[in-house]
Amino acid sequence: MSGPEYPGSPAELPGVRVDECTMGVVEIIARPGRAGELVEIARGRGIELPTFGRIAYSSDRLALCVRPDRWLLLLAPPAPAASGPDRVDWWESAAQAGAAVDQSSAWATLLLAGPRSREVLARGCRLDLDPLLFPVGLAAATIMAQVPVILAAVPSGLLLLTSASTARHFREWLAAAAKPFGLMPQSIISVADLCRSESG
Amino acid sequence: MRGPARIVGGWGVDATRSVQFSFDGRRMQGFSGDTLASALLANGVRLVGRSFKYHRPRGIVTAGPDEPCALVDVIGAHGREPNQLATTLALFQGLATESQNRRPSLRVDVLAINNLMARFLPAGFYYKTFMAPGWAWERVYEPLIRRAAGLGRLDAIVPAHATPAESVHDHADVLVVGAGAAGLAAAQVLGATGLRVLLADQDTVLGGGTLLDARWTRWRESVCAQLARTAAVRRLPGTTVSGAYGHGVYAAIQTLDPAESAAFGGMRERLRVIRARRVLFANGAHERLIAFPGNDRPGVMLAGAALAYLRRYGVAVGRRPAFFLNNDEAYESVYALTAAGICCAGVIDSRPRSLAADRARDMGIEVHAGAVVEKVYGRHEVRGLGWAARAGGQRHKLEADCLLMSGGYSPATALASQLGAALRWEESIAGFVPELSPDLGQAAGAARGHCGLAAAAHDGRAAARVIAAQLDCAVRVAGADADAEAELPPDPEATPISALWEVRCRGKAFVDLQNDVTAEDVRLASREGYEHVEHMKRYTTHGMGTDQGRSGGLVGSAVLAEARGMPLATVGLSRPRPYSQPVPLAALAGGETGQHFKPKRRLPLHDWHESAGATFVPVGLWLRPLVYARQGGWEPVLAEAGNVRRAVGITDVSTLGKIDVQGPDAARFLDFIYANTFSTLPVGRARYGIMLREDGMLLDDGTTSRLGPQHFLVTTTTANSAAVLEHMEFHLQATCPQFDVVLTDVSEHWAQFAVAGPRAREVVAAVVSAADLCADAFPFMAVAEARIGGIAGRVFRISFSGELAYELAVPARAARAAWVALLEAGKPCGIRPYGLDALNTLRIEKGHVTGAELNGNTSAGDLGFQRLLKRNGDFIGRTLAGRPGLAAPDRLQLVGLRPVDPAGRLRNGTQLIDASERGASLGYVTSSTPAVALDGWVGLALLARGRQRIGTRLLATSPIHDEHTEVEILSPHMLDPENQRVRS
Amino acid sequence: MLRIPCPWCGLRDEIEFRYRGDATAIRPAGDGGVDAFFSYVYERDNRRDWHLEWWLHTGGCRRLLEIERHTLTHEIRSVRDSAEALSARPAAAR
Repeated sequence: MSGPEYPGSPAELPGVRVDECTMGVVEIIARPGRAGELVEIARGRGIELPTFGRIAYSSDRLALCVRPDRWLLLLAPPAPAASGPDRVDWWESAAQAGAAVDQSSAWATLLLAGPRSREVLARGCRLDLDPLLFPVGLAAATIMAQVPVILAAVPSGLLLLTSASTARHFREWLAAAAKPFGLMPQSIISVADLCRSESG
Repeated sequence: MRGPARIVGGWGVDATRSVQFSFDGRRMQGFSGDTLASALLANGVRLVGRSFKYHRPRGIVTAGPDEPCALVDVIGAHGREPNQLATTLALFQGLATESQNRRPSLRVDVLAINNLMARFLPAGFYYKTFMAPGWAWERVYEPLIRRAAGLGRLDAIVPAHATPAESVHDHADVLVVGAGAAGLAAAQVLGATGLRVLLADQDTVLGGGTLLDARWTRWRESVCAQLARTAAVRRLPGTTVSGAYGHGVYAAIQTLDPAESAAFGGMRERLRVIRARRVLFANGAHERLIAFPGNDRPGVMLAGAALAYLRRYGVAVGRRPAFFLNNDEAYESVYALTAAGICCAGVIDSRPRSLAADRARDMGIEVHAGAVVEKVYGRHEVRGLGWAARAGGQRHKLEADCLLMSGGYSPATALASQLGAALRWEESIAGFVPELSPDLGQAAGAARGHCGLAAAAHDGRAAARVIAAQLDCAVRVAGADADAEAELPPDPEATPISALWEVRCRGKAFVDLQNDVTAEDVRLASREGYEHVEHMKRYTTHGMGTDQGRSGGLVGSAVLAEARGMPLATVGLSRPRPYSQPVPLAALAGGETGQHFKPKRRLPLHDWHESAGATFVPVGLWLRPLVYARQGGWEPVLAEAGNVRRAVGITDVSTLGKIDVQGPDAARFLDFIYANTFSTLPVGRARYGIMLREDGMLLDDGTTSRLGPQHFLVTTTTANSAAVLEHMEFHLQATCPQFDVVLTDVSEHWAQFAVAGPRAREVVAAVVSAADLCADAFPFMAVAEARIGGIAGRVFRISFSGELAYELAVPARAARAAWVALLEAGKPCGIRPYGLDALNTLRIEKGHVTGAELNGNTSAGDLGFQRLLKRNGDFIGRTLAGRPGLAAPDRLQLVGLRPVDPAGRLRNGTQLIDASERGASLGYVTSSTPAVALDGWVGLALLARGRQRIGTRLLATSPIHDEHTEVEILSPHMLDPENQRVRS
Repeated sequence: MLRIPCPWCGLRDEIEFRYRGDATAIRPAGDGGVDAFFSYVYERDNRRDWHLEWWLHTGGCRRLLEIERHTLTHEIRSVRDSAEALSARPAAAR
């Protein structure tokens, strides 16, 4: 009676998976008018900084851009003793064009996967996540469950970045929203896992 | 009516599955598919409630969401839910319901005396009567009125929501509201374009008017099957669109079917927030009542409702029905009931002649043309009626057990009106039709004044094509239209409606059955000056009930128009606002209840604090450790604070806002943002700063450190961290975009701890590597990069407590390792963690300010910061801070205070007065605490001419607590005014 | 509810934005005097008309946007980034 959205009982639902990613995060900010320069320097080092609203990824890192002339670079997690910006080895040559700020502890990163994941997010996300409009490769900053969230469509699912202080709140909200769709237990994954396709 | 009324199996009920239910304790039986109303009618129940004001007996009037009278309480496992519509409430096994607003019982209602006193209860009665004395309103009148008036009652607020709820965000190219002939035809056309369509209908079965006409079954089933195969069309039956907010946003409440409800943990309704590029209103029309004396008697119903009860539920609403109508469409009910073998008592048609009346006469039905109903016989139900020629003359009596009325159909314009659509008077239907801006969408079918299903379907298609063209989408499936056109059953030829609003005779003729508003009330409002339709509405409460006056709204306007001698087109309808139908508050709250009501921000060390026995306190969204003890009272707080003064303590200050400021113009930018100077700050040093609003008042304070020539780290107060970031971002983009600066919020990345107390250096030195912390090498306000327990971080020598103190910052992920290392290192020194209460005690003694003093009303001068304002250069707030009023000597100034009696206490918010004068308040206590380094209690206050009053005595008075304490005014720097401790 | 077409993020709900006041109010030079600052901070026309205003997209790109909104209908006629808006203004009005 209720239309095509929720066929079947919970037992038949294909399920949604939420995994937690551990990673290092560096925020890269171009100084006014220096974005092009910064992108070129990064490219020279083999790091692709995507255009606004998009992601760029290689086997072990992912860059996303949801603020003009700013990027979040997701990398393997830092060693506990390391200080952030030093880890971006190309930084010295780029310093005049911008700033790099370690944000590894600022974000909690979740990966939502499964065929119903966009329906789950519709419980709190105001963006139109139709796969035609938000395909793999796009990223956006928005508000979800009353907190700021950055989301990106990556090959393995939907990547959700939420502030560390609200991570537990957001996880609890997501778990509640996903429950009727069948929520699979979560595991810990790495940046490299994000860039593999969902079927893999 | 006597005996059961179920005569034939309606298509909507399953006669093989009986359902038990109860109404007012009487156990009855219905069928699966019934509504409570259809089941009650099938059981011969006529009287279902008492009216709002006069306690008149009322029955079921409609067969759907327009119902004004049949509201019931549903008695569920979790309590009583009032104001449920019997006409839409699906019957289920064990459903228990009760009627409303009757005492002691439905048949014998003592307050029906209100009906006899009606001449003393006119519109505006409350305003006129319950005027004086003033005290009586609260104690006498209001309780009395509340008991007498109203509908359902709430037993109590259910403590935890009995059932879960959620809100869901939807997006579509086109939202089609209503799935009748027009909506289905439109969705079919739109579906063929590939546009994303949401098709919402309040009924659980799609079809609207086609559901009551067997000739349309084949068409409907074929279209529905086609839509089910069209992936871009999402059908939402049981979904009522009840709010249209502009910018393409709509709110809808979806009622879940039992299977889905079970999958969602018993959820009943879901709020859908729909965003659509265009809307197509195909939500039909509302049948109107006619205002005549006795038109509220149980058994007086809308003619269309009788048709629905017959065809859908197989229920005859009477054995001898009479009709009172003014349009051909309503004759469908006459024909249908007659065809079902029910003997029609007669038709009163206000028009002199019509095609439909001729057909009725051919069927042997008696039609009294050019006549009106003047009277209804019977008290608790209809026993007959009196009719007379419209021109006047003798009244005739007609025996009947129900009276089915129809005053025509008003297009459903509420949603279009919410979007600002103008209403145009359409004489051919005697109703208003919406003029919706094409940028917003279209109205089609009966919602645009078309009569007949075929006409509606054609109109729906045409509207869909307009929208598709606007959105640049051609209909892709060639020939689909032509096929479908051929299948449409033709509409019968009809004689137009002739408007009839009211029959003026002796007796109450209602224009609003739910709120008990009569035509006479409307005229009274007009006479008393409430002439505008909006004023009339508010004076009489016409159209303010849960049904929003759907069946009588236009009738009320027509009565007003006549009273004012103006055309109805000029008087218009009152403007509706969301929601056009009642919406459960639980559905609006959605999932944001209980633990999800608002976000909680947790510290990186939250789990450690918890395991250490902390009591948490919500501060904004943060959960902060208040004290490391489960018991209340000051004792554990003072133990923590005392340990800081005597030895050393550690506290978590990670909630501070932290903004990284970099770039060649970083220092100039901060000089502009802050009232004091940062360009002169050496690298490796921190400085306390204050920030003003442009109006000159204090915005925030905090320390800013210079990490490099072009690199600063700003800290903000916890409460203002988001506001200060926005303030800086705004100014960097709007008022000083020329500065080459980048701002980054690093609040979440860094955890920060304060280690404070005379032995702080010993603790920090043991953990911080390769840094010389001696007073000369690392003086007060020094900053350095350092490793803390091996973790790369920063050390700041700053103090909020007034003690020798360090703040240590590490990435939040390493917070626990650093914190534990500090605790370990501090063991020999007697280190203890301290919470927010102890932090507060320490800073009050020292005279440091927080949000209680930085309250938006204080200037730099008020808090003793005037020396921080730089003399040269522009900064935000500089000019207006110099206004004489902000420097006036009688402003409230920050002072310290303590009770003269060492045993006395202070209380925040207590007013300060001069005891000798018994005058007005001179100020108030902002913060207070029992002291640890000093004796007794100490506090901070904002006091007029405060600095002049230092050393004097005042009375701190709180009349509501009956507390009056003599206090001595002190300098706010009550502890160590020379700052020897922090510099040691 | 407003939906604001952010030039960076696309059409977004009002909840993501923070209103930052009248965009026609230009901050006077630092030595502009009390009257000029008083006018800048307090004096508003509150007209029923098209209105230029600042909105900070805090829930998205965090850019400051200049929005032209009708105060009666809430219709939004134009939106542009503050950088573009300021560069389009005469130098005296920046």
